[in-house]
Amino acid sequence: MKAGRGLFLTVLILSAAGPLYLLLKVSVSPPAEVMTPHPLLLPHAVTWRFWERVLASGQITAPLWKSLGVASGVALLALTFAGPAAYSLAQLPVRWRYGVLLSLLLCRMLPEVSVALPVAVVFLRWGLLDTALGLILAHLTMALPVAAWVLTTTFSSIPREVQEAAAVDGCGAWRTLTSIILPLALPGLAVCGLLVWLLSWEEFTLATYLTLGAKTMPLQVYYYLYQGNWFDTAVAATLMTLPVLILSAFLQRYLRETSLAGVMR
Amino acid sequence: MKHYSLLGLAPLALYLGVFTLVPVVSTLVLSFRTSEGDWGLGAFRALAAHYQFGEAVVNTLAITGLGLVIELSLGLAAAAALASRFRAQGIVRVLLLIPLGVPTIVAASTMRYVFGMVGYLNEVLYRLGILTLPIDWTGSRWLAVVTVAMADAWKVTPLVMLILLAGLQAIPRELYEAARTDGAGPWQQFWRITLPLLRPALTMAFIIRGVDAFRIFALPLALVGRHLPVLSTFAYVEYLEYGNQHTSAASSTLLLVMILMTVGAYLRLAGPEEVVR
Repeated sequence: MKAGRGLFLTVLILSAAGPLYLLLKVSVSPPAEVMTPHPLLLPHAVTWRFWERVLASGQITAPLWKSLGVASGVALLALTFAGPAAYSLAQLPVRWRYGVLLSLLLCRMLPEVSVALPVAVVFLRWGLLDTALGLILAHLTMALPVAAWVLTTTFSSIPREVQEAAAVDGCGAWRTLTSIILPLALPGLAVCGLLVWLLSWEEFTLATYLTLGAKTMPLQVYYYLYQGNWFDTAVAATLMTLPVLILSAFLQRYLRETSLAGVMR
Repeated sequence: MKHYSLLGLAPLALYLGVFTLVPVVSTLVLSFRTSEGDWGLGAFRALAAHYQFGEAVVNTLAITGLGLVIELSLGLAAAAALASRFRAQGIVRVLLLIPLGVPTIVAASTMRYVFGMVGYLNEVLYRLGILTLPIDWTGSRWLAVVTVAMADAWKVTPLVMLILLAGLQAIPRELYEAARTDGAGPWQQFWRITLPLLRPALTMAFIIRGVDAFRIFALPLALVGRHLPVLSTFAYVEYLEYGNQHTSAASSTLLLVMILMTVGAYLRLAGPEEVVR
């Protein structure tokens, strides 16, 4: 029983982590090791040729900046919009709260292509295609339900007694918010910001609809893939995965299993 | 207090109304209009006649069904293996969760290295003595469907595992002890205790994954290409390649209906309180 479980878990770990190892390996391998009928599994020779080529090509800096800007914009705006909403939601009676949260979850489950089509048509008219602002506006449709969901959990975990105690001590509503509630909610706000940042950083479908030339990182990776160059793809893909791995390692400690439901993908 | 509450919700509601509800409804409307501006089922008739559309529907359903089978069985097995305490449990958990963080487009690129004709899966199978000739994993339609389901399962099985793990850990230990005292074997314990009590977690994983698999987009597009259409990519190609808004909208509408039916079925099965918790 025990040996069986060990073997099973080993196979699982190898298949979970293996592909990511391959990504790194391909990005630093000479083609002779990879593009053969029998590719080598362990790294033998290492070359930085493709890293240098991609970084020097001038095709990667613009997408990096665009994705960075869009993701940061989405994170900031999501907190600004979802913060007050979640704070209000946390005050609502439980039945109302359930109703709102449920419709937020429903928003998250709508097909991206249903949202993307009319938005693309309208943004074309408004001159918002290819702009960071347009993409931020579109990404917020996915980010806001998630942010509101996560923040509602945060705000409702702050005991009501804390607020009441502040009121007894003579704090007004504004003072209670800024010096009691917000400091207590800060970790939750940070986690939510990171989560939403990641969501935008890796978003592909809406970006495809709303982009003509100024690609984001996921679109740039797809572009390399479409061209059929395994090595440039590997470099670009690794480049966009690094911040994700760092942030999600950090996030894992804060995410309860069930709150993942609202996140998906 | 009450009017404050509504005030805080207003910006969010307004935003989602303008940028989510209006687009979804206008897609719905678009799909029931013709390019001449009349109401009608022209777009759906065009879909029915389109050589790739039926394929897209079947592919979407097949990828979803196959993916669910792989993800739920593997996720359950992994959750069961992780449920009881053992040394190195923490690090095993972290390693198993790696794919969850990987962006979809990166997963698709990585899966090209795995499932390519000269890819690493063929090489591993060759070295294990299972294959002598390489398999073209994305070559034929049905094999490509299986490959996409497996690639998707690679990324999302950890999520299913997490949900089921939480479910398993919520089952009281005493139940198993009582069952053992009454002489129940491991299989009986699994069928009579674990599975029934795990039902809420299983349903939740089933719905979350089902809805996501219906919407699958980047993975088939990047791993196989346009010759393996699913509903989302079909809608995308119809609009961006052929400028055909109405058929694109109709395809999205069908997807919407499939998702709403799934969610509706879940709400009837589970009750809203269970979803929100």
